[in-house]
Parts: sequence; structure tokens; C-alpha cells
Amino acid sequence: MALEIVKNSSGLSVERESIVVSGASNAETTEPLGRVVATERRPNTPHEFHFWTALDSPVGIGTIVRVDSAHPIGGQLVHVYGIVVEGLSYTDLQSPLHDVLAHDAMPASASRAATERAEVRLYTAAVLRQVPEEPLQPVPMGAVFLADETDVAVGLRMDGYLRPGARTGIPVGVYHAGGTNAPIYLDADFLIGPEAAHLNISGVSGLATKTSAIEWILSSIFAHFPASKGSVAAVCFNVKGPDLCFLDQPGPIDAADAALYEQCGVSPGPFEHVQYFAPFKADGFSLNTLRSNEALLHNVSSLTWGLREVLQYAEVLLNKDDVDAKADALIDFIRDRIVDHEFRDPQLLGDKRYLVRSFADLEAWFRDVLAAIEAKPGEGYWRTHHVATIRKVRNRLSNISTRCAGLVTDDGAVSDLPFGEFQDRTVYVIDVAALEEDAQDLIFARVVTKLREHLEKRELGVNHVVVFVDELNKYAPGDGPETYVKKMLLDLAERGRYLGLVLFSAQQFRSQVHRRVVGNSGTAVYGRMDADELATPGYAVLSQAVKTKLSTLEKGQLMVRHPHFTQPIFVRFPRPAILRGRDGAERYPQAVDVGLDAAVLRALRPLDPSLTLGAVQDAIGIHDSDDVIRARNATVRERPTNVLAFFRAQLRPIVGSRPAVQPLPPPVRAPSGSNPYDF
Amino acid sequence: MVADLSFAGVNRWLWEAAPELGPRSAGGDAASLELASAARELPRMTDATVIEGATLRAHAVAMPETSAFEAFLDGTQTSRVIREADGIPIVHGTVAAVVRQRVNRRLVTWRHEVRHRLYAPRTLLSSRWNALLDASTVGVVDTSRGEGDPIAHPYAVRDAASHRVQEDREAVERGLGEAWCAEAGTPLLVDGGTSGSETLASAPQLVGVVKSHRTLYVSGAALDAVRSLKAGERSSVFRIASTHRATVASWYLRLRGPSATDWMWGLVRVEAADMQGASSRELSERADRLSGWLLAERAPLSLPDARWDRMMYGTRDCEEFLRAVS
Repeated sequence: MALEIVKNSSGLSVERESIVVSGASNAETTEPLGRVVATERRPNTPHEFHFWTALDSPVGIGTIVRVDSAHPIGGQLVHVYGIVVEGLSYTDLQSPLHDVLAHDAMPASASRAATERAEVRLYTAAVLRQVPEEPLQPVPMGAVFLADETDVAVGLRMDGYLRPGARTGIPVGVYHAGGTNAPIYLDADFLIGPEAAHLNISGVSGLATKTSAIEWILSSIFAHFPASKGSVAAVCFNVKGPDLCFLDQPGPIDAADAALYEQCGVSPGPFEHVQYFAPFKADGFSLNTLRSNEALLHNVSSLTWGLREVLQYAEVLLNKDDVDAKADALIDFIRDRIVDHEFRDPQLLGDKRYLVRSFADLEAWFRDVLAAIEAKPGEGYWRTHHVATIRKVRNRLSNISTRCAGLVTDDGAVSDLPFGEFQDRTVYVIDVAALEEDAQDLIFARVVTKLREHLEKRELGVNHVVVFVDELNKYAPGDGPETYVKKMLLDLAERGRYLGLVLFSAQQFRSQVHRRVVGNSGTAVYGRMDADELATPGYAVLSQAVKTKLSTLEKGQLMVRHPHFTQPIFVRFPRPAILRGRDGAERYPQAVDVGLDAAVLRALRPLDPSLTLGAVQDAIGIHDSDDVIRARNATVRERPTNVLAFFRAQLRPIVGSRPAVQPLPPPVRAPSGSNPYDF
Repeated sequence: MVADLSFAGVNRWLWEAAPELGPRSAGGDAASLELASAARELPRMTDATVIEGATLRAHAVAMPETSAFEAFLDGTQTSRVIREADGIPIVHGTVAAVVRQRVNRRLVTWRHEVRHRLYAPRTLLSSRWNALLDASTVGVVDTSRGEGDPIAHPYAVRDAASHRVQEDREAVERGLGEAWCAEAGTPLLVDGGTSGSETLASAPQLVGVVKSHRTLYVSGAALDAVRSLKAGERSSVFRIASTHRATVASWYLRLRGPSATDWMWGLVRVEAADMQGASSRELSERADRLSGWLLAERAPLSLPDARWDRMMYGTRDCEEFLRAVS
């Protein structure tokens, strides 16, 4: 960091850190807008000071100011940077009654008074930074200036990560006060890791602030994440409505938003690379997503898992009542010895061999085992597992394919995220909005676990992944049972940054989220907040004025806390240039549910646009739906050159029926000789 | 050389320059001489010539209660004994005055002046003390000058100093008032009388408001008339002439209804330029107009000042300003 010598008005030389930001400091040319004051009752401290301003000054809650001390310390003039956190206004009126008396209890007459009372605007500012940092002393008396762009950067310690050659700033919005417009940067080392990581956003529902802010911040990360730190991708769980269903579609922005984009150095536009994943509906062939319009299906893939994928996360779906120690032992046995292994048990099952690869295979295996056990009177156990336990586990596991229909397939077909082939600056959206809670939990647990496993081995395809989870208070509530998902989120929040696995989370009520999850979020962002929420202890560090501002924030405004900022900062961010979910749902209405043949056509047409419904119907013929779905899944998975031929080949051949020949019954007694009546 | 001319600064300088001449004043122990001298001012009654009509009577102020005053002038003084030089009090005096101009219904400083001086009878001081005072850069007023043979009684010395401080305060006020008349020329409300300056007394745009009634210019039936004034009423205009002061026109005006225990409560005396040759009607019209302006200044109240019943808010604002800067 370079130091430059600046002559102040009294001729003393002071050192100011030279940073590289656009725009020039106007410290030497502007008039002070206030003066620091301190009394015995309201003294200044190293962390807080008071100042007054003219009545028409542009100062407000959240304004950043700079104090220039009048007297040097150790030969240097002290510069103090602060942010306004409280404001007072009062007159020389000693009692309200005096004003009533003065105007004969007629408020209208007050406006006719020749003179208005002397009035003071007194502000309290929290110290952001003192330069020089040592000795740390109470804020001195001095003139107060509106912070310019350079002051904002110095005050927020952004100069440390905006240096040429070591720039790790990620714009989060623009700070605006008076005539100052200064981009505010987050430090990528503290947003994506490894120093700190994770981002949590809170705000009332209905303003689209949380979703918009996440979209904007992801855009900013993709635009500014330093190449030296590697690649980054995002995995977003769309948990409600069409919020994240149109991230690749452009949306309109106005001139003010365009200016914000320009100030932040981000190109306005939708995400260039987006991949969507959604399970099927219970019918097994209609995608369970609001992004099912045929025009948008080119980057939508089905998300289906088989037995092997699900069994690893059985405890996500099975609660403690379901899985006691005995059941757990049996599940482990099945996972380790049955699934994907050739299994024989000559004593119980004779010579029959089993290769369990799907729920259907598993069900057949259970059926045979139970039948064999019950066929031996007095034998209640099989390999130390009681028959009741076996029945219970069979019931629970078989139930999974029913509870997660559309996601879990009986036939073991797998269509998954491209683990190992993740692409830089790509968003992977998993639409779980229409799924049951169990299925959502299963998807969430497995995807995050797989991401962690691949990142641990450095073979995901990218170095960093941002995982966005909305409605965090549902998945990691502050109270309630210790679920698998909650434990996994805690683990992600506490250890993910070392792996490059970053959690971006959102919720309406931060106070209802587990403290260790939000506490580990290095960056906290707040949109408009509910007054009841602000009354909870977690917000006690905020002044009443800041809380008031928080509860009245406009759309597009955020309060940001970041490890480098000693106080929260208010910023404005642009509306994302992305088609909003609601607008997208109107422009691209959800495809109506169709028959199996049309669904197959929808799935295959992205692979071969020349396909026709007639050709597909012809191929399907009289094959049953399970067979057709299996063939479709295989075709989509393999992406063959000749789509229709491959699809046909996957269908099981139908053997033609032959007329049954009924042999004549033998005669009771054969006639002898030529006399037919000779019995 | 004294850098800080305030009481504390001069006090410190004296002790640092000549510690052998005694301990420095504790500051807080030094009571303001103004408090004592005000109590010693004797009340008196004198008659004045009524120039509006034949006898002094009550007039309801007919003019609408709107104010045309553009500014307010007031001054303050503070004098305290800073040291005793061989038993002779040396007084530190601060006088200040300000014109606060009304802009968009808010008062801002048009101009102000603050003076710090020492007041001492030089002929009664030792050569060491005189040398010390000469060495300071504080202006020193010799209170023995023009007093004949000054006596060394401390009270007499204090009274003389206090008198000179008052003269200085009036001079500063006068200077600002005259500057306003010369440069602005618009209506100015002066706290106190205007007869101390020929220029101010004759300025048609100046109005003085006297809150103190230690001198009453009425007696007998006229006194009864003044005592009976109701809120919003004024007395007839009379002329105050003095050999030492300029002649002015004056009248009593009741801003607020009288108290049951003090008929002077809410009563002010107004001084304005003496309109020589003006008819009784012209005098009435002007008195009504200026009284209307004053009545319009009743709000906001000047509370918590104890004289709020008679003090205009603009005057209180001047005092608050001077308290902050002097």
C-alpha cells in the first residue's frame, strides 16, 4: 500500500494510504458539514463520537463521514472514519407545555410565528477506522466531512484488498450519501474462503430482495472472482415457486440499475451457463418443475436416483423411531453385502443368486428371505437379524420409492448432477419446489455430501462451489430435532470453507436459524426486516435508528456486515437483469401434463429435434410404461447419435403369442377291431 | 503575552508570569459583579411628557400581530475579580454583543463582537503590578482615570470597574447597532434602551425594548393607567428627555396579562425615535405598528429564562449565542 503525503489546511503533513479506486478524494476541497462535539455527559470514545450539522445537511443514518483532527498526534493528523448510527434533534424548548402556551394550544398559529426555535441536529457515529491506528485514542474534536469514495474505501478497510495485483474485491452494491457514490466491495477471501466464508441474508418475504440479492451477488462473483483463486460454480436449490427457474433468461432493468451495474463493473444480463435439474412427477415421465415449458427444456435434466444412491442417505428419510440399532445394523448389511454384490445364501435360499441393483430387486430379495425364514418353524432369526426387524426395514425402505416417487426409481436408473465435470461460472439449479419434504431433504443431503466428497478429492471440476439454500429456518432451525440435514448444514458452515464449499443461505427470520449456522457466516446481509424480528436479542448491537432504517428499507437496499467492516453498511444493488420468476412463469407457462408418448418426445427432442410424435408412438407401440421410461432414461443418459434407434433398442422385445394347441384326451378304452361300438 | 484572553487564560498567565504575587483565582469562586450591582440599582419614579394626546391612557393595539423586525441586537457583560493586588481588586471583564438576523424564520449571526479587558485603578497599584499588566497584551482600563482621587476601598474599586465594563458593553452594542443602521437599515429590535446613542436613538428603524422597570416614567393617574393595561394594550406615547442621553419617544406595552402579585409582569417599555413635529395621529399609528410587531414576537416563548414574560425570543437567542461564544 502506497503512502502519499497530503498537506492539510494548517500546513501539516499527514500520511494517507493511497488506494486504487476510481474517482478522486475531494477532502481538500469540500466544506465541512459538521463539527465533533463532546460533553461530560456524552463524551467521545475510541469507538463512538458525536457531531452536529446544519439542518439541511445530507447526513442521515448510515452516512459515512470523516473527521480531521485539529491537532497532530506524534506529528500526524488523525483521520477518523465513522458511520452515523443515531441522530437526535432538539430545540431550546424546555417543556412541550411551553410551546403549547406560546401558541395558545392552536398548532396552526405556530406556523405564523415570526421565528422558529433554534434547533440542533446531533448525530452519533460509530468509528469505522482511525488512521493512524495507534495510539487508539478517543475521537478528537475536529471538522466532519462527508466521506468521498476514497474515504469510504479507507474507512471500510477495502484498501487492503483493492490493491493492484492483489485485488480480491467482489462488489456487493453502491453506497450512496450526499454526492458520494462508492462501490462497496467484499473480500473474496472472506466471502468464498479460505479466511472466512458463507453469506446469510435475512429479510421479509414478498419484496424479492433476498432472491434478487443472491442473484446479483452471484453475478458479481462470477464477474470479479479473481482468476488466481481458481474456478467457481454455484448450486442453487429452488425451494419455492419459480424464483430461480429463469436465471438464463434476460429481464428488463432501468437506467438507474444499469448505472449501478456499470459502477460495480458487472455486465448486466442473465447467467450465461445454467443447468437445471428436476425430478419427475409420480407418473415417472413428467418433469416436476415450473420450468417445463418446451422452449426451455434444452438445459433441463431429470434428477433420478436408484437404490444405491438413496441407501447411503437412508437416515435422512428414516427417523430414529424407524432406525434403531438393530435396523441400522441390517441396513448396513444390505448396503455393504447385498446392493451391487452377488449374494448367495445356500442354507436359506438354496442355490439362488441375487444381484440387487434397484428397489425392485431389493423387494424381490426381501420377499424370498422372509418366505424362507417363515418356512422354517422355530427359526425367528436370520444371520442375527430378527424377522420382525427384517420386515420393518423392508417396509421402510420400500416406502422410500413411494414417498420420493419421481426422484427415486424402482429400476435403478440414475440421472445426476455432473459431479466431476462442474464448469467454471456455471449455475446448477435443482428445482425441489414441488417435492415433498422428505424428497427435498434427500436431495439436499446427497447433493451437498457429494459436493463435499468431490471437493475433498479435488475432482469436482471447479475449486469453489457456492451452495444457495433458501428458507434456512426450515432446514436448520434454532430449535427442534437434530436432523441429518441440520447436522450437515452445521458441518458445511463450520468446515466448508476449507474445502471451497460455501453456503449462501436466506431466511425471513434469522433469529429462528441455528446460531452456529448464521454465526459462521462471515458476511451477513439484511433486506427490509420485520419489527418483531428486530426486537430479538440478535439485533441488540444495532442502534434504534439503524433498526428503524432496516425496517423501512426500500427494495434494492441492503445492510451488509462483513469481517472487514467494523459496522454494518447500507448499500443499493441493481435489480438483476434476469427474468423474474413470476414474469417467467407467465411468459413460459408450465407444460401441461401429457401422455407417456408426448413426454418421451419432450425428453428426446432436445437430443434430436427432428423427432415426431408419430415416430415415438410407433416405437412405443404396446410396450408398458415402465419399459418405455427405462428406455427413455437410458437414451437421455447416453445421448446417442441416432436417438430413435437407440430408444427402440432399449425396449424389451415383445415375443409374439402362439395359439395354444389343446391335445385331445386319450380315449378311456380303445375300440378293438372294426366295430366302433365295441367297448 | 497572553494568548487566551478569557478569564481562565488571563488567570493562568498572571500566575505563570508572577507566581510570587499570590495564588491564582479559583475561578468558580469569583462571583459576577453584575449580580451585586443590579441589586444595588435604586428604583425611582420620574414624570415624562405625554406627546400622544393630553393624558396618558390605555390604547388597544389595533394593528395585526405581524412582525417586521429583521434582526435582534443584544449584549452581555461579565466581570469578575481575577486577582487582588495588595488588596486592590483587579477585575476581568468580558463584553459581547451580537446582531442575529432572521432569515427564513431562523436566526443567524449577522455580526458579533467579544472583548476581554482588565479593569484596575492603576494609580493605586504597585509598580510591580503595573509592570505586569503592561507586559500583558490584554487591554487594561484604568478605572481611576477621571475619578479624581480614587479610594482604595475594594467595593469602590469594584463598582468603578463594573461601571466601566457596562460602558464597554454599551459601546460594543452601539457599534453593532450603528453598523446595522448603516449597512442594513431594516427594522432592528434592540434589547434595552436606545437613548445611549444619538445615532441609535434617532434611527427610525430601531426599536428598544426595556424589560427592567427600576425607573418608572409615570406616576399618579398615569401610573394607574399603565398598571391597568390589559394584554395587547399600550400606553400613550411620552417623551423621555435627559441631559446625558438622547431624547426618545416611549410607551408601555403589555405583552401578557398581569400577574395577581406583580403588575409589571408581562410589561415592557418601548423606546423609538422621537418624531419631532409629528402629529398625535402619526404617533399613534407608529406606536400601534411597532407594538403590533412586538406582540407578534411573543411566540416562541423565551422559557426557561426567568424574564420570559417580557423577553422576546430573538433576544433570548442573542443571549444564548453570546453565552456560547464569550
